[in-house]
Amino acid sequence: MVGPLTNVQRSATHPLGIAIRGVSKAFGRVRALDDITLSVEAGQFVAIIGPSGCGKTTLLKIVAGLLRPDAGRVEIGGVPVTGPGPDRAMVFQDFALLPWASVLRNVTFGLEVRGAPRPVRHAVAQRVIAKVGLAGFEHHYPHQLSGGMQQRVGLARALAVNPQILLMDEPFASVDEQTRRLLQDDLLTLWADERKTVLLVTHSMDEAIYLADQVFVLSPRPGRLFRIIEVDLPRPRSSQTTRASAAFGRLVEDLWGILKEMQ
Amino acid sequence: MGESWALVWGLRGAVVLVVLGVWEWAGRVPVNFAFPTATATARAFAELLGSGALPRAFGISAQAFLLGYGAAVLVGVPFGLLMGLIRPLGRIARVYLDLLITMPMAALVPLVILTMGVRITSSALIVFIFSMPFLATNAYGGVRDVQARLYEMARAFDARWLQILRMVVFPSALPMVLAGMRYGLSRAFIGLVIAELLLAPFGVGRIIVDARSVFAFDRMFAAVLSVILAALLLLSGLQQVEARLLHWRR
Repeated sequence: MVGPLTNVQRSATHPLGIAIRGVSKAFGRVRALDDITLSVEAGQFVAIIGPSGCGKTTLLKIVAGLLRPDAGRVEIGGVPVTGPGPDRAMVFQDFALLPWASVLRNVTFGLEVRGAPRPVRHAVAQRVIAKVGLAGFEHHYPHQLSGGMQQRVGLARALAVNPQILLMDEPFASVDEQTRRLLQDDLLTLWADERKTVLLVTHSMDEAIYLADQVFVLSPRPGRLFRIIEVDLPRPRSSQTTRASAAFGRLVEDLWGILKEMQ
Repeated sequence: MGESWALVWGLRGAVVLVVLGVWEWAGRVPVNFAFPTATATARAFAELLGSGALPRAFGISAQAFLLGYGAAVLVGVPFGLLMGLIRPLGRIARVYLDLLITMPMAALVPLVILTMGVRITSSALIVFIFSMPFLATNAYGGVRDVQARLYEMARAFDARWLQILRMVVFPSALPMVLAGMRYGLSRAFIGLVIAELLLAPFGVGRIIVDARSVFAFDRMFAAVLSVILAALLLLSGLQQVEARLLHWRR
């Protein structure tokens, strides 16, 4: 089924790094981000955490090319970002699925935008839909799916365009705890085979530590880079081994300490 | 599902029977000398059909209707969509649409006839004025209601403007556009009947006016009923189309 994929799919051969240099952003008189500089190595899984209103989603949208920074710039693989591009794909907190379109049509959205012919779209969609565990649901509509399944569609839609960088905006915030843990584990498995750079915005300390190699902690308004936590937990991680380990508990506590210190 | 379907249709049928029963009774009393019985009306209906008078009249009314309503759809929907896409246009045009909707339209009918004369296009124009504002307003609302997060999603996938229109805006606005077409259709019928009764003696309106002038109330009622039936038929046809296009909602 993999067959000859088009160049729209082959674009991502190697992951790309992200460099955020001196990025500031204000909305009217509200300063959302203040002089953020950080870099993410190619192929790393990085989480951004901070209290609500710290501008973490704003930062993600700037990396996505949806918002322009007032100052500073973002570079992807050394190339400055001027807008959305095929090297990045986003997963949204509220899924942002088209309610009138089947799972298949939702997943092929990005491919259709890029002009991939129908047989290619379908072949790619079948593969990513299977990958996120939704095989058999191709012709369902979003409202027929649970929140967790809807977010799997959102993830499949992002994977379908085979980006080098996956941008995730609190992707598991709107699903229940059990589903969230399943989705987190599936995301780790996917990431292990696809080797993409992942930038994940979250407000869950547990999620940040469990998933990421590095956690960037932002301070409240205006968002500044407050601390970087290196998460040296061994991979592959799993709930049974990782969450139960003393190191995991310590890292979550450290993170809690930092967040409390900022209040 | 089958069971509730049977129940709904059974109840609808029962309502029709009760109405017919009461009508027959009221006609036989009679509540008024001008009030025909249901059976007399049915007989008149059959005669109008048999003589070919009703089909011929419908042929004429249908022209005015299709011309007016068709133009209202072709003009109103794209105009409403444009109003939604181009903010200043929407802001300006809204006021006038609201005016057209709230105004007692029947007052416009003499004006149209005075300027256009007594012809089918006058009736068509009245049908148009009656229905177009609803079509445009709904299409406008449909575009305005597109969720911001869907725009953002499409932009994140680097969709171009025309792709956003085709893949996000139009399908998102479709339910409201269709609802507007349905509402516009009933308004178009009102417009047609008013035009034909008040001024332009064509089609079914002509039968109604003529029957009344010779006190043939059963014939008049039969003609009125035929208009109601035609409206119901078209409306349910449109509902079928709607159900097919919006199957994802079920």
